[in-house]
Amino acid sequence: MGFARDAGWALAALAVFIGLEFIGLRSAGFVDFVIRFATFGLLALSLNLLIGTAGLVSFGHAAYFGMGAYAFGLLMQTGQWSIPAAILAALAATALLALVVGALCVRLSEIYFAFLTLAFQMLLYSVILSWISLTGGDQGLMGGIPKPVFLGIDLARQEHLAAFGIFCLLVSAVILRQVLRSPFGAALRMLRDNPDRAAFVGLSVFRYRLAAFVIAGTFAGLAGVLMSLYVSGAFPTFAFWTTSGEAIFMIMLGGVSVFLGPLVGTAIFLMLNDWITALTEHHGLFLGAILLVIVLGLRKGLLDVIVEHWRARKEKQP
Amino acid sequence: MSDSTKAGLRRRGLLGAAGATAAITGFPRLGFTQPRQPIKVGVPTILSGRVAQLGISSRNAMQIEVDAFNAAGGLDGRPIELVVRDSRGTPAEAARLAREMITSEGCEFLLDAEASGGGFAVHEVVRETGTVTLHINSETSSLTADPRQRFWNAFRVARQGVHDSIAGGHYAAQVARQRNLRRWMTISPDYAYGRDTTAEFVEFARSFNSDIQVTGETWPRLFQPDYTENITRLSQGRPQAIYSCLWAGDLVTFVEQASIFGLFAQSQFFAVNMADYTTLQQVRNLPRGVHSGNRYLKNFPDVPGNLAFANEYNRRFNVFPTNWSWQAATGVRLLTTALRQVGGTDPRAVAAKLKGMTIESPFGAEGSVTMRAEDQTLVGYAIGWGTTVSQDPFVENMQKADWAMILRLEAEWKRAKGWG
Repeated sequence: MGFARDAGWALAALAVFIGLEFIGLRSAGFVDFVIRFATFGLLALSLNLLIGTAGLVSFGHAAYFGMGAYAFGLLMQTGQWSIPAAILAALAATALLALVVGALCVRLSEIYFAFLTLAFQMLLYSVILSWISLTGGDQGLMGGIPKPVFLGIDLARQEHLAAFGIFCLLVSAVILRQVLRSPFGAALRMLRDNPDRAAFVGLSVFRYRLAAFVIAGTFAGLAGVLMSLYVSGAFPTFAFWTTSGEAIFMIMLGGVSVFLGPLVGTAIFLMLNDWITALTEHHGLFLGAILLVIVLGLRKGLLDVIVEHWRARKEKQP
Repeated sequence: MSDSTKAGLRRRGLLGAAGATAAITGFPRLGFTQPRQPIKVGVPTILSGRVAQLGISSRNAMQIEVDAFNAAGGLDGRPIELVVRDSRGTPAEAARLAREMITSEGCEFLLDAEASGGGFAVHEVVRETGTVTLHINSETSSLTADPRQRFWNAFRVARQGVHDSIAGGHYAAQVARQRNLRRWMTISPDYAYGRDTTAEFVEFARSFNSDIQVTGETWPRLFQPDYTENITRLSQGRPQAIYSCLWAGDLVTFVEQASIFGLFAQSQFFAVNMADYTTLQQVRNLPRGVHSGNRYLKNFPDVPGNLAFANEYNRRFNVFPTNWSWQAATGVRLLTTALRQVGGTDPRAVAAKLKGMTIESPFGAEGSVTMRAEDQTLVGYAIGWGTTVSQDPFVENMQKADWAMILRLEAEWKRAKGWG
């Protein structure tokens, strides 16, 4: 029942997007925004599986974003891979990386976990910078990423890429939603709230956390694939700590406890970023000040506040 | 109730009448007095952070040239409007801005003023969109030397790493022969530009003078604040000469710290990026006798046009131009010349005109620069090496590099890379 309803919402959202494209919002700016929204929304949504559900604050989530982008880009540059096959291979590579890093990190908690994930991210970043023959070093993966047409989808066309990005985001959102609703999701929440009690009732803290880590990393890899398609390359900054920081900020803005909070935060962050960049050269000063006011003013994510307010009103009603 | 309705109707009627009057009388007049549609040129660049000077000095120089073009009537009355945006040095943001400029803001051309990373991101965007783009800051040789990177609408209006390395290698080999400098060490930033440029310099210096031996190297991180460890390593190696491609603030910091340790008293120092006002004027006690390639100097080339450019820039912005400034100015001059010759903004026609174009330039080695047709990169710009003095003009005894030699060795280098 839950799956059918989520899938219905996702289909409705896809229909709304396609409808918007057809009724005249087909401006290039809108299409670009949609691609970036799908990319960063997926990154933030995947990170929130760790932060919001499992209670694991990862500072190194951009490692998987970068891994997805580089793996996909390198495979496509060989000219031997179709896009779907390269996406699957890139996701497999990202999942493997997340499995190895996660196995070492999830035994720790709180600040130790956060810093170890950050350390692994910076390790990957250093590898990207140093392995110039493979990655292009600090100049990034050059030469463009070929985008052969598959199933009539031409990702070299921005409208197709936007629709593909939204499709990936919605499918991922439905899957992640099912993960949260499943017994596995309930176990993660229990581990977040009281890991000792969960261990006493027989749950393997290590296995559950590792599984969540791998799932989150894999979806971040898909976000990286979308990013590499958008910029037709891959760059070391994808795997830099600032990318992880931005994803955390999007979650904080939109809300941790509501499933769609990261998507709302992504939309706010991107709109503020685009608006301020067009208005002033003192981007950091203005964006920082606005975000500070929002965070200090609300003290929670926007959707957290709205949902809490709505529930409070509902309870008051006779 | 009825009164208010009547009043509302009266108001609406009045507004309608006013609108109709404006439409009949005003709009045609607006049509006559409106200036012609500007030619929008997008400039993705870096205006914040540690290399903000790159974007600021590029934008300033472009503005001088664009103002001159517009004051002279533009393109049949169409002025150029620069749309400058800050990417903060992030490639993904540079790509987004470039795309947005082209698709949403109606920019017909791009003057890409990004550093190499962002420049390559913009390169991939315009490969897809077919927008005529002039890269004005990326010095990475492969941007145009590698045939896979070339396409019809992308041009480089910047000095190129391999050109500097050939000129520097030749100069260093001569000095080494005269002063019998055999033991060399290098200190360069630990990233692609630092490693590539150093390797190319050493390769060419040794090809001119096989006595040169590199006995050690040290690679500080980009933006490293303390060079004690690197200076100690250089001091212990006791080289007769040191090469560096550190740049801007990093070079200033290193030179100041190395002076305290007396490093330049024991070794000749060759710094390809020293002769730029952002560096020369910031070193507190500029050591005498540091060998440097020209980045930008108002007296090299020593021609009135160059001095006039520097003085105008200084008058408007209270600082002297940088290497990025002359490149940006040259980019605008090439683009505006092509626009005038084409008499329009058709991208294919403008690109065809740019290909192989030679313009008079105060920044040229012989009074002109050329957009070489075969790889769409700038050649013929002034390259020279000299030695520093502590006061203005800061660098003396400039020796002009021989472009015939540069072109010959560049062709050999390309063939060796498989790019010939």
